[in-house]
Amino acid sequence: MTEKPSPRHDINPAIGAMLHSARDFLTHEHALFSSLGLKPLLVGRGQTRFSFDVPGEFGDGDGSAHSGFLTIVLDSIMGLTVFTALEEFKPIATINLRTDYLDRAKCGVRAVCECRCLNIIDEIAFVHGEVATEEGGALIATSAGAFIVGARGAAKASRL
Amino acid sequence: MSAAVENRLEIVRALSASPIARWLGYSAAIEEGGLVHRLGFAERHIGNPAIRALHGGVIASFLEFASEVEFSASLGRPEKARTVSMSIDYMASSKAQDMTARVVIARAARRIAFLEATGWQGDETRPVAAARVCLRIGEPARE
Repeated sequence: MTEKPSPRHDINPAIGAMLHSARDFLTHEHALFSSLGLKPLLVGRGQTRFSFDVPGEFGDGDGSAHSGFLTIVLDSIMGLTVFTALEEFKPIATINLRTDYLDRAKCGVRAVCECRCLNIIDEIAFVHGEVATEEGGALIATSAGAFIVGARGAAKASRL
Repeated sequence: MSAAVENRLEIVRALSASPIARWLGYSAAIEEGGLVHRLGFAERHIGNPAIRALHGGVIASFLEFASEVEFSASLGRPEKARTVSMSIDYMASSKAQDMTARVVIARAARRIAFLEATGWQGDETRPVAAARVCLRIGEPARE
């Protein structure tokens, strides 16, 4: 019933292969993510760190990205982080997400999203995520989310 | 169309000019006296192409933006509001199609406003997601 993220840093090989394919698809083909210049900095068991662009197309009209853009990134990377903590591939879906916006993200800069899967219990994964500027590391947003592991019904896989 | 309704729609048009509004395919109309917000579906809103559902973060962005517009329209002027925090519950899977939302202002104080946004696809009685949004309103004193 409990699938606690292991203290080991190695990802299950099958999950690793899936993430590798997902990275190639997201980077080159996906209509949303291919514009973000996603770059994996760390992909370990239950933890990830990606850098990405803050494109002007998500701007709020004042030179900063709309805060909703950060939620798009956080939901995506937090979901990906759940996969790294699994022993076998299972579809997941976001149950809920709470995000605090600590500062504005300027369009045109690069930022870093770092996430950690805190625990998986009763098929619920709890994840924490942060976004900071790549240069200087100033915190922009923090988020806490819950994901169902082994999503059923119409949602047969992650929203990612 | 009354002057008040025309004014609200003018505010919607002004706020819809931002890049994020265009990216969301955002629009709004007045129905039964209240604003009804719409996400105009586009392929870029898809998260996982295997299931052809709206990305959860896109839904969150839409409800957050709709909350900002709702608040400004209630004031009768395009007020710049910054989101402090938002929490969202995903209650049903979404489809690759438009999403509609209504927003209720739970409380608007001098500096902070609390709003509740609900989004659905087709059937308003079957919400896809519900968000609570906290906005910082007015011009903060710069430190």
